[in-house]
Amino acid sequence: MIDFSRQYCLVIDDFQGMRTMLRDMLRELGAQRVDIAASGGEAVGMLGNHRYDIVLCDYNLGAGRTGQQLLEEAKVRNLVGPACAWIMVTAEKTSDAIMGAVEYQPDAYLIKPVTAALLETRLEKIWTRKAALQEIDQAMQAKNFSKAVALCDQRLQYDRANAGELQRLKSQILLNAGEWDRAREVYEQVLAERELPWAKTGLAKVHFHNGNYAAARDLLQQTIEENRTYLEAYDWLVRAQQQLGDAEAAEQTLVAALRLWPNSPLRQKNLGELALKRGDRDAAEQAFRKSVVVGEHSVMKSADAYLGLAKVVGANKPDEALKTLGLLQKQMAGDDIRLRAKSAEGLIYQASNNPQKAEQLAGEVGELLQGMAGKPGSEASMEAASLMLATGRRETAVELLQSVVRNNHDNRELLNQVQQVFVAANMAEEGAALVEASRQEAIELMNRGVLLAREGKIDEAVESMYQARAALPANVRVLFNFAYILITRMQQGNAPDTLRADARNALLQANRLAPGDKRFNQLMDALAKLQASP
Amino acid sequence: MMESEQQPDLSVFLVSSVHDMKNSLGLLSAMLEKMLADLSPEDSADYDQLAHMFYEVKRVNSNLIHLLAVYKLGKELYPFDPQYHVVCDFLDEVVSQAQPLIASSKVRLEIECEDGLVWHFDDDLVSGVVNHALNNAVHYTRSKVKLLARQNGKLLELRIEDDGRGYPPSMLLDGSSGRKAIDFASGSTGLGLYFAEKVAQLHRNRGSVGCIKLENGGAYGGGCFVLQLP
Repeated sequence: MIDFSRQYCLVIDDFQGMRTMLRDMLRELGAQRVDIAASGGEAVGMLGNHRYDIVLCDYNLGAGRTGQQLLEEAKVRNLVGPACAWIMVTAEKTSDAIMGAVEYQPDAYLIKPVTAALLETRLEKIWTRKAALQEIDQAMQAKNFSKAVALCDQRLQYDRANAGELQRLKSQILLNAGEWDRAREVYEQVLAERELPWAKTGLAKVHFHNGNYAAARDLLQQTIEENRTYLEAYDWLVRAQQQLGDAEAAEQTLVAALRLWPNSPLRQKNLGELALKRGDRDAAEQAFRKSVVVGEHSVMKSADAYLGLAKVVGANKPDEALKTLGLLQKQMAGDDIRLRAKSAEGLIYQASNNPQKAEQLAGEVGELLQGMAGKPGSEASMEAASLMLATGRRETAVELLQSVVRNNHDNRELLNQVQQVFVAANMAEEGAALVEASRQEAIELMNRGVLLAREGKIDEAVESMYQARAALPANVRVLFNFAYILITRMQQGNAPDTLRADARNALLQANRLAPGDKRFNQLMDALAKLQASP
Repeated sequence: MMESEQQPDLSVFLVSSVHDMKNSLGLLSAMLEKMLADLSPEDSADYDQLAHMFYEVKRVNSNLIHLLAVYKLGKELYPFDPQYHVVCDFLDEVVSQAQPLIASSKVRLEIECEDGLVWHFDDDLVSGVVNHALNNAVHYTRSKVKLLARQNGKLLELRIEDDGRGYPPSMLLDGSSGRKAIDFASGSTGLGLYFAEKVAQLHRNRGSVGCIKLENGGAYGGGCFVLQLP
């Protein structure tokens, strides 16, 4: 039984009558603390101030965010944790119930009319499930994937009620840990019993990872035929078709997914990019516009859609492009966003023969770069570099681009993009040399520590890795090597206390940058073993 | 030459009207439920009449819900969402929703559910089917109804059995022959069965498809409605 007197509840509904009714219902069940919000905006504020245990949210909140968008925002911004029970109240079952990603699903839908008895049964059910998965959730939050998988296995032996959810969770953790073969085993096991679309799509992801794009494509097409509304399969099919060089099919798949569910800012943006690639500016403009519109109240809104739209309309309608970039800065915050918007503004002025304004923007971008706490992301760096090159600030541009190369020395696609920035500024040859030099520099920095360790000079190796990490703070392979060398040092005993935390932080950062790399889990396990021994 | 007047798309009005009627009947049924709960069968002469009204309102309301679902299924708009469910918990929830009707009918309901049964199905749709079958059984039975869930080979079998007179031979269905033509003379619209059949057929697994059956016999010797899901 739930002790409602201890639960902090929030009721969100735009109708006064419904709010009161739901609040009274919760009180009838024994709840003592029930807050109410009349709109998505009000609810966001309250969710930010308190950790609620139960949220009852109407799906249709009038103008502004929908209930689903509110839930997505709450999850993305970590306003609610896995322990919170989020119940969506709807007049009828909506497509959101099946079209959205699993991680943004509410714990239950309640279809009106809601009764206190039904609410109680549903909450009991949610609580039992959450209690069953609590330990696994905690292990996942701590990024202890091996433990999370072991807990899943333990529970799978006796918990039949949650078996389906546990298998899905286990396969997800294995993918995060880069354990592709073991994930494949889970998918095959599930599929032997029942043809579930998530397991088929999972198996296709394994094919994709192994480079079997045709096998992935065939399996995904089959999944879609059998489960027309399973959108994750469409997303992976697009990727497989792109890998197979079939851009036309990829675009068609994306269009089919958007016909089912037009409200995805990300898919609309992707469609715009595909259309742009094949030179259809009208289609691209339309898709980018749509992305901006459906993303207006969504935390999933895509900066790339605004930037793409500005780029597409920039040549003929510079005023509208500038307005779009202004809107972007109003709608989204962050250094990278400002950097990208201002760089695009500068380039539009440059292209429309307004060198003074371009000059001014380049100055602003330069100031932004100086004032930034961290390093700008790869896209922001390349876009800023384009403006810098266009306005004759060669040194700043080269520095930005070199940093992108150093931090991503094994990402061929990105290196190509960097090269394109040089090409656009008529620096093809010089650019190629610079890219290659930075790439070599990164490899050398990365390997130096490992070579020293191999020669038995472990303390020098550690020091060398600290230098490498400082020089290449976002290079995933450097981060892994860094952790590896530090762990090797710790295994020899009498290591400085700081190494443990430094290794762990480097691993967590590598996992953020490149989830699904097998080395993450291996090194985390090695670190955990060290911690266990005296 | 006269231009013919543009024919409006009637389906839009039909759908919105059905929605409206459904909501209105939902309200009515909640009001009747409350009235019945405040009365007791012994001290009110109106009780039986109210109970009958309640049954009719519920019946039409659930028909309208099915009508909308069938419309959406036909247009591929229905969010079909099968998940794993603990069958006993699921039946408890269905029964608790049907409780007011059962209470007002004086029929005894027995539930028999295999322990530990977990199955994969769309709970909203299947609960609609079971609820409808329960309402029917409660109406046509003499004194008792049994709701039974068990695993039958690779199928989940949900059975609603009563001790009434059973189905007339023309209505019996063995699940393979398909639906019989609608018999307007009997007063049945056939919607309930059509809905049940559609819901059953949506459930598929590894080449096997769900089905419904209408039988006579069962534990109480009356009519049996059977839903089998792979």
